[in-house]
Formats: sequence, structure tokens, C-alpha cells
Amino acid sequence: MAPGWAVPDALPQSRRLIAQAYVMKFSTEMKKEMGILCLVTGLLMLIPLFNAVGPESGPLSVSAFQVSLWGKYLTYAVLAMSLNLLWGYTGLLCLCQSLFFALGGYAMGMYLMLMIGERGAYKSVLPDFMVFLGYQKLPLHWEPFYNFAFTVGAVLWVPGLLAFVFGFLAFRSRIKGVYFSILTQALTYAACLMFFRNDFTFGGNNGFTDFKDILGCNINSDATIRGLFIATTALMVCTYLITSGLLASKLGKVQQAIRDSENRVLFSGYSTTSFKLMIFVLSAMIAGAAGALYVPQVGGINPSAMEAAKSLEVVVWVAVGGRGTKWGPVIGAILVNFIKSYTTHAFPDYWLIIMGGMFVCVVLFMPDGIVGVYKQAKSYFARQRSLETTAA
Amino acid sequence: MIPHFSFLGCSGKSTVKHWICLLITAAILTSAASARDARTVMAELMQAERAEQAGLIEELSTYGDTIIADIYEAWRTGGIYLLEQDGGSQLLQFTDAQEWALVHNGAVISLSEAEAAAAKKQRPARALRKQMKRIIDTLGLKADNTALRIDSAIKLGRSQKAEFIPALEARLKVETDKQVRSALQEALAISWLANGEDAQVVEAVQTLKALNSVAARAFLEELMQAEGDNERVDSSLSDACAEALISIERHMKQQEFFGSFFRGFSTGSVLLIVSFGLAITFGLMGVINMAHGEFVAIGGYVTFLVQNFFIQTWGLSSSAFGWYFIVALPVSFIVAAVIGLIMEVSIIRFLYRRPLESLLCTWGISMVMQQGFRLIFGAANVQVNNPTWLMGNLSFAGFQMSYTRLLIILIALVVVALTWLLLRQTNLGLHIRAVMQNRHMASSLGVPVARVNRMTFALGCGLAALGGAVLSQIGNVGPSMGQAYIVDSFMVVVTGSVGNLLGAGLSAMGIGMVDQLLQPSLGPVMGKITVFVVIILFLQWRPGGLFPTLSRSLDD
Amino acid sequence: MSTHHTPLYRDTPLILSVSGVTKAFDGFKAIDDLNFYLEEGELRTIIGPNGAGKSTFMDIITGRTRPDVGSVTMHEKDGRDYNLAKLREFEINRRGIGRKFQTPSIYKSHTVYDNLILSLNKKRGVFATLFYRESREDRERIMEVLKTVRLDTRANDLAGMLSHGQKQWLEIGMLLAQDPRLLLIDEPAAGMSDEETERTGELLMSLENKHSLIVIEHDMEFIRQIARKVTVLHQGHVLKEGSFESVKADPEVIQVYLGRQGKRAENN
Repeated sequence: MAPGWAVPDALPQSRRLIAQAYVMKFSTEMKKEMGILCLVTGLLMLIPLFNAVGPESGPLSVSAFQVSLWGKYLTYAVLAMSLNLLWGYTGLLCLCQSLFFALGGYAMGMYLMLMIGERGAYKSVLPDFMVFLGYQKLPLHWEPFYNFAFTVGAVLWVPGLLAFVFGFLAFRSRIKGVYFSILTQALTYAACLMFFRNDFTFGGNNGFTDFKDILGCNINSDATIRGLFIATTALMVCTYLITSGLLASKLGKVQQAIRDSENRVLFSGYSTTSFKLMIFVLSAMIAGAAGALYVPQVGGINPSAMEAAKSLEVVVWVAVGGRGTKWGPVIGAILVNFIKSYTTHAFPDYWLIIMGGMFVCVVLFMPDGIVGVYKQAKSYFARQRSLETTAA
Repeated sequence: MIPHFSFLGCSGKSTVKHWICLLITAAILTSAASARDARTVMAELMQAERAEQAGLIEELSTYGDTIIADIYEAWRTGGIYLLEQDGGSQLLQFTDAQEWALVHNGAVISLSEAEAAAAKKQRPARALRKQMKRIIDTLGLKADNTALRIDSAIKLGRSQKAEFIPALEARLKVETDKQVRSALQEALAISWLANGEDAQVVEAVQTLKALNSVAARAFLEELMQAEGDNERVDSSLSDACAEALISIERHMKQQEFFGSFFRGFSTGSVLLIVSFGLAITFGLMGVINMAHGEFVAIGGYVTFLVQNFFIQTWGLSSSAFGWYFIVALPVSFIVAAVIGLIMEVSIIRFLYRRPLESLLCTWGISMVMQQGFRLIFGAANVQVNNPTWLMGNLSFAGFQMSYTRLLIILIALVVVALTWLLLRQTNLGLHIRAVMQNRHMASSLGVPVARVNRMTFALGCGLAALGGAVLSQIGNVGPSMGQAYIVDSFMVVVTGSVGNLLGAGLSAMGIGMVDQLLQPSLGPVMGKITVFVVIILFLQWRPGGLFPTLSRSLDD
Repeated sequence: MSTHHTPLYRDTPLILSVSGVTKAFDGFKAIDDLNFYLEEGELRTIIGPNGAGKSTFMDIITGRTRPDVGSVTMHEKDGRDYNLAKLREFEINRRGIGRKFQTPSIYKSHTVYDNLILSLNKKRGVFATLFYRESREDRERIMEVLKTVRLDTRANDLAGMLSHGQKQWLEIGMLLAQDPRLLLIDEPAAGMSDEETERTGELLMSLENKHSLIVIEHDMEFIRQIARKVTVLHQGHVLKEGSFESVKADPEVIQVYLGRQGKRAENN
């Protein structure tokens, strides 16, 4: 990766040392990172493992419900990672991440709806809501979704295309910072209004639900649930590797440079529009993929998944975990949703207040999130230790 | 209204009689002061000889009291009884509420079983029925309320019955109200279409054309159809009809356009008030207040509370109630400004010139506030009534403009004027502009920046609440009422260039207008989406909005 | 005192010609019918009172602002001409025009070394960047630049940690790493100590002939040190052009610089 692994001999001694230090620092960090990634993946794999071969009851038993619950958390984690790519590393606070997520979800949902076949309430080849709304035949744009491969493609290109068109217009006219956030929020709002309409052929406010099969497997069987969980973990690992790869490349450096001083990048001969556009499209695709895995695990999707507030929730996850850090979004997404699951049961009226309060506190007191607090604590203890050793 | 008296514990015959005498005396006394009321005439009519009836009918036809219809209906269906007694006879009505009431004044009395049995059912004579029906049908023409008179005229006209023409003409002679007059003319013309000679019909068509009568369209079309079927050589009538129809349709289109335009103007005014607040906090302070929408809701809820206070203190139908809205305006401004002040001191002041963080933080606050509203006021919308003086329309050259929307436009103008005065003519305004241009320089020149910030933020929040108070008169008041406006307001601020109040004003009007003009043809959802697309395209052309600010520094 | 090493008027081809350029903001003409010609390898200093349009002039050359009328042409060595007024910022930069801003503009959260990697004159497309691998020459080039701007011991420090003067140098270093044909340098000495200023001057003079330079400066000592040919801007157009000494002695220039002061003295 970037600065290479060998230090050229031709350099004078002093500069050689600096370059060497640079390479060494890089490689040890890299090893440590990969170790953590393997560890996390291994731990996550225990969940489906215990579900398959673990005991029926007791602390080690994992129910299918818990597997799909954690699967849902992981799709959220990927969604948060996709936002982090934009907000954390490029400085673009995008408030339409939930829209991309939902678009991926809807694409997968279309496939799943068609796979119900004639087992729906109306015993028709058409999805139930279409029968209910009086459709005679399947709309043309639904046809290709019988094909799983096409669906997988659509999960990526539909959000990607939207991101491309919108991003092209927005970045070309130098819309950035808060303006970008506001416009993406408006985009989400507009799209949400569209999907709420019945005549938009996506089920109106009820959306899609009552899925039966995915790739011929019963969507509610334990094995399918485990399979989906493993697929989600794989997506998360992929996203992590993509993020790391980007950050290690020169493109990643340009990305962060845009965050710090976009004009400088522009006056250094980079077309910042293209760079931002590429990251935006990539991030939208990742979010779409996460949405596609979310829908079969949760069992449905409706337009409320793309409300503007949902996008801001994603921002909360990233902020709580720590933006601009590799694991922060994952930690934030899982933690916040864990708290959400708990509080919406225990104090349903106070969840929004708790989340809002949490957000205010994070912004005011821990701008770098949990990971930031951890780093601060670590450096504090390191300082203490070094003080002690000097004293001794 | 029939007053209800209760005679608890005193159902003895003498007591009843005593009361009746008392009431009759009271009735005589009052009728001496004013003209005989409709009930008295009706009572007399029921007991009159045939010879006297004509005079009474004539007299009755000058009354517009709807009670006539009620009593006549009871008479016709056998709800009127005559009770012969020693001291004279009584006409009684057996009401829907299963009570006995005196016909001549509506007083409820109680009868003993013997008396009830003795009462004889009365029925109008056949000859009278016809005359009465005409009176009842045209009763509305003489009502006190102008709206009722107009309704009645339209109804009579649409029936196209020749028998109503005299009544309509009679009323037209004495009618003074302009709107009622035109309604009467319209009704007459429509009636003539079906009943007149050729010349009269042509004249009626001309009248309808001049009146731009929307109601006449169907009748004119029918007439043209009939002319076509008859294959008459003289086509002047159908030509006149066609001409009238075209003229009426053009008028309707104009009216529709003007209506959308007017609605757009008033919607724009609300947007303007709301986005002025946003533009001030955003542009002047670099703080994106996502909780701005919740301050709009505060305005709505404060109006609701003020309204409830007025209802509790003075009652819904009192004249004082009408003032609640005027009181609610400053109160909502002040309440929101105080809450904004508290918010600024506790949270916002740590976020100056950090727009992204302020966006996130205030969004958290907005969540808390929204849920707070739900906990306090419930998740459903609350009921805010318009004061009576705001109901109704102002008619201008045939266009209807509701008083509510007119008032909103007026308030927006006042807000614009006051904000301008505040920013341009006061010391605080000078400070605000100074801080906006260069925070550090202002601070080192002795401008109390912290204080200016507090006041500015409070002002922005107050304006939002003012918008909410105004909105309560045309929309719903609920926990998420601000959400619907916040996206639009942000659009306004972006399109109009940040921190530029003139830009905000123009774009608020523009967006409100485009939105309302597109809605009739595209529907609310597609209208909104089109507006959004238009804004994106507009920003391609002018990335900095309408009035971009120029800056020398590299990173802004 | 004269430090001229090269004659004031040279006989080399032009690299940049700006002719008849006008730019107005809200009716105010920041640049008014400006004509300006720069020769290959020349070091030109631009002076002028505040609001004379110096920064706007640079904005126009670098594509940050588009002129209302007039043309800005860059002449390639092979005889081709480019109309800069039609190109976007990054395209202009790729043609070989580098700019240093008044306030140091660097990537705070990157190391000094990475700041320079990003500035190297390499292919700068999205995919070229994604698959870029650092070569030995690149590394040597960066080390050379670091040495030139005396930041070689701080290669692995975050740029945000540098002092103000060092940031200025880093930005100059970033320009050098690009190896541009024309360097636009806006107030390089601002916020520097006397010693740093002198060294900056030496650095700029060492670039002369290899690169063409336009330097905007206020510090008269610094200008005396580096000046060859000086252009005086006033109210958006060229008031005077000539050697530092001749410009300094020109009554009109003195009037522009001291005019308001003079009037104030009269009023008193």
C-alpha cells in the first residue's frame, strides 16, 4: 500500500530514518487493525454458530429472533459506516443516507414481493397491494425484479444513480457544508412524499411486507436467518476493507484534504467535484446494500424508513460512536439501537427525549464520540504512566 | 330559539295560568315596542277567518324569520293544537322535544293530561297551503343574514320555476346589499332562461355574461343544446350563449389563478415570517436551528392556550373572545423568545460558527421539544378556532379573499417593517449587523457580542413563534406542525442567500407562490417535488442564491 | 541601493497576458480595464493600497473569479495559447499555475509529508489517485522540497501543529512540489519574523528564471529585497510599472499611497 514497504537505499541517512519510521508506523498499525477486524468477525460468527449448534436454553442459547435482531444492528452499522465515509472523512454531512438505505431495501423488497407468488391474501401473481389498488397487470419496471441478479444490481445502481445525479448537480454548483445537508434533507423529504403515494407503485404507506422466500429458501427458517446474518457480517467486513483501502490510498488523502481545505485541493489541480461525487456514489451504494439486507431480516419496509428524521438518527449513531474513526460508527450504531430497543419498551414516551438529550450531550461534551473519549483516556493514562516512570 | 323554562314542583293549574298571563303581558309589552313578530302573525293566521287570511298572508310575506317555516311545518303535519279554555283559547305546538309550547311566543308550558286530551289538532286549509308554500320557499330571501339571502336566491334561481320570479323581483326592488343584489339578478336571469320569451332569454344571457355567473354554465349549455336540437334558423341565441360561456370560463380561470396567487401570497407570508427568523439565526449567527420548527409549534400552542384562557374567562360567544388572536400574537412571541433565550444561554452559545455541530445539536433539542409537546398536549392536533371577525371573505372585483389570509399578509408586512426598523434604526440592530460582519472586530470594538447573540437568537425564535401563531389560523396545531414548514424555510434561506433578509423575503414569496400555483394542476406532493427540483436547478444557475455575499477568505 | 542581478527588461517570450479585463461586484469595479504582461522566468512584484484589486487579480488568473470582459491568456512553450477565463480552477492549476493564499491554506490533519504528496505534479484524476503508488523519485522529490523549505525534520508531524511561519513555508513547499511554470504568491511574509522573511525572499529569488513569479506584498523592506520590476495597482488598473526605485519616486504613486494621509494633514 501507499508508501511502499521498502525504504530506498539511495536516500541520505537522516532522511532514510524518517522514511523508515513512516513505513514502520504504517505497517504495525496495519497489522493491528487486521487483527481487530478478524477478532470482531470471529466474535460475530459465534452468534449464528450458537444458534445452530448451541443449547436450547441457558446463557449460551441464541434464538433466531436474536440472530435477526443482531443482523438488523449490523445493517445499521454498515449504514453508519457509509455515512462516516462521507461525513467523517470527507466532511459532507449527508442527510439522505436513509433514503439510499431505503432505496436498496425497496429494490430487494420488490424481488421478495414477487417471490410470494400466488401465496398472498388475494391468491394472485400480483403483490397484494396491487390487487387491492386494482392493478390488472404487473407494471413494466417490476418485471426484471423476478431476477435475483438484476435485483442485486438494482440495489447498488438505483441509490448510486440518484447519488450521481443529485451529487453532480450539487457539487457542480459548489453546494457544500450546511447547504449540502439542507438540500439532501429536502431530497429525502421529497422522496418520502413520493413513496407515501399509492400511485407510485411501491405500496404507498404500507410498503412491502409478508415475505415468504428468498432464493427459494423460507425467509423465516433459522438457516436463512443465519445465512442473512453471515451475509451482513460479510458486507460489514467488505465495507471496512473498502474504507481502510481508501484511507490508505492517495484518494483517501485527497478525501480528507477536501474536508480540511477544499479550495486548496482545488488549487492543487484536483477536480474536487469528481472526488466528492465518487465518494458520494460509493457511500450511497453501500447504504443501498445495507438496506437490501435489512429488509429480509426485518420482514418489511415502508416509506417511514426514509423519513428525514431517520437520516439524522444515522448521524447520531456516527456522532455517538465517533466520526472519522473506523470503528466508531459500528459501536455507535449498535449501542444507540441497543438503548433504543430497551427504552422503547421500558419508557416508550421518553425514547425521543433520551435520544435528543444524548445527542445534545455528545455534540457539546464529546465531539469525537466514544472512540474519542477512549483515545483521550488512553493518552491520559499513558501520560500518567510516563510521569510515574520519570518520577521513579 | 325557544327559551326553556322549568316548572319544577308547580304543575298546579292555577300556577300555570298565572304564568301564562304573565308571559302574555310581557309579550304585549315587548310587541308594543317593536313590530309584531312572526309568531304572533302566525298565531293570528291560524285562528283567522278566511276573509282576514289574505291580509295576514300579505303581512307574513314581509317577514324573513325561519320560525315561520318551523311553525308552518308543524301546522301542516299536525303538530299544532288548539286548547279551548275558560279564559280564552290557546294555540299550542307539540315540539320535537315532546314539549308543549305557545305558538305566539314559543314559551314552553306543561299541560295536565286532561288538558292535553282536550287539545284539538289543527290543519291548514287547502287554499292556504299553496300560499304558505310560496312564502316558505321565498322565506330565505328575507332573512337577516346576507349569506342566507344569497343562498336562498341561488337555490330559487336554480330551480328555474316561474312561480319564484315575482318574489325574486320583489326582493330585488328593496334589496340594498350589493352581493345579494347580484345573486338575485343571477337567479332571475337563470329563471328567465327557462321561462321567458326569446327577447327575455337573450337579455338573461347577456346579464349572466355580465355577471360572470359560474352557476349559469350548466343552464347555458343546456340551452345551447336545446337550440341545436331545434335547428332554429335564428342562431343569435346560441351565439350569445357561446359567447357568454366563453366569457364566464375565462373569468373562472382568472379567478382560479387569482385564488392560487392569493393563497400563494399568504402561504409565502407565513413562510416569510418563519424563514426570517431562520435567516437571522442562520445568517447572522452561523447557527442552523433545526429546532426552529418547534418554535413555530410553540407559537401555535401558545395561541391555543391563550384561546382556552379567553374561553374559560369570558366564554366562547363573548365579544372578548374575538380579541384572543390579537393577544396571542405578542404573547407567543414573548414566550418563544424567552425559551430561545434560555436555549441560547445553556447550549447554543457554545456552537457559534460551527454550523454542522449546531445543526446536529439543535436537532436533538427539536426531538426533545416535539416529544415534550406530545406529553403535554397529546399527540393529536389541538383545536384552535378562528375568531368570528376573521371568518368570511372580502370580495374584490368578483374575487374572494378570506379575512384570515388577508390578516396574515398584513402581519407579514408588519413583521418585515419592524425587522427592518430593528436592524437599521436601533442600536441593537447596528450591533447585530456588526457582529454578523465581523465577530472578532465587533467584539474588540466594545460591542457586547454575547448579549447581541442572545437577543438575536431570541428574536429569531420569537419570529418563528409568530409564524406559528399565524399558522394556527389556517392550519393544524400539533406536535409536528413545524416539521412541515422547516424544510420549506430552509429552502427559502438557501435560495435567498444566507443572511440576506431581502433575499429571504423574495424567495419566501416565490416559493410560496410557485407551490400554490403548481398545486391545482400537479397535486400537493408533485407540486412540492417540482419546487424542490426548481430550487436545485436555480442553484445551478446562481450557486450563492439570489444575493450572494462576497468574501475574500479562502475557506468559507 | 540596488540588488539587481538581471536587467529590468528582458527579451524572453511572454507566459501570461491579461488584456482589457474588467470585473465588477455589485457595480463596484474591482478590476477596471487591466492590462498586464508577464515574461517567462520573470519575478514581478505587485503593490498597491488596500482595495486596489490585487487579490481579485489573482482570483481572475486562477479561475476563482471570472472576468466580465477581457482575456487572460497563458502561453505554452510550444506556442499554444490557453484562455484561462474559460477553464476551471483545477484545470488552470494543471496548466502549471500554482497559488499561495494570503492566509496559509494547508491540510491540517495530514502530515507535512502527505501535504506534499498531494501536491506533486502527478495525474490527479479519481482513479489515477486511487491506484497511485509512491515511487522513489516522488519520495526524493518530496525530501528535496522539505529540505528547501527547511521542514525536513518535521516530515511526520501533523501540519496543523506547525507555527504560522512554518505553515507559510509549507504552502510554498506545496507549490514547489507541483513544479508550476507560474507561481502566484500572496503576501508570503505576513506573520513571519525578520529572519524568516529574509529567508523567504532568498527562496523566491532562487526560483527566478526557473519559474515565473508574481508576488503581492505590503512589506516595503521585503519588496526592496526581491524587487525587479514592480507593478502598482490602483482602483483596479495599472498605475505604474517599473523598477522599485523609479516607482517609489513617482509622484503619482506617492499621492496614491500617501494621498489620504496628506489630505488628513491638511484638514488638521
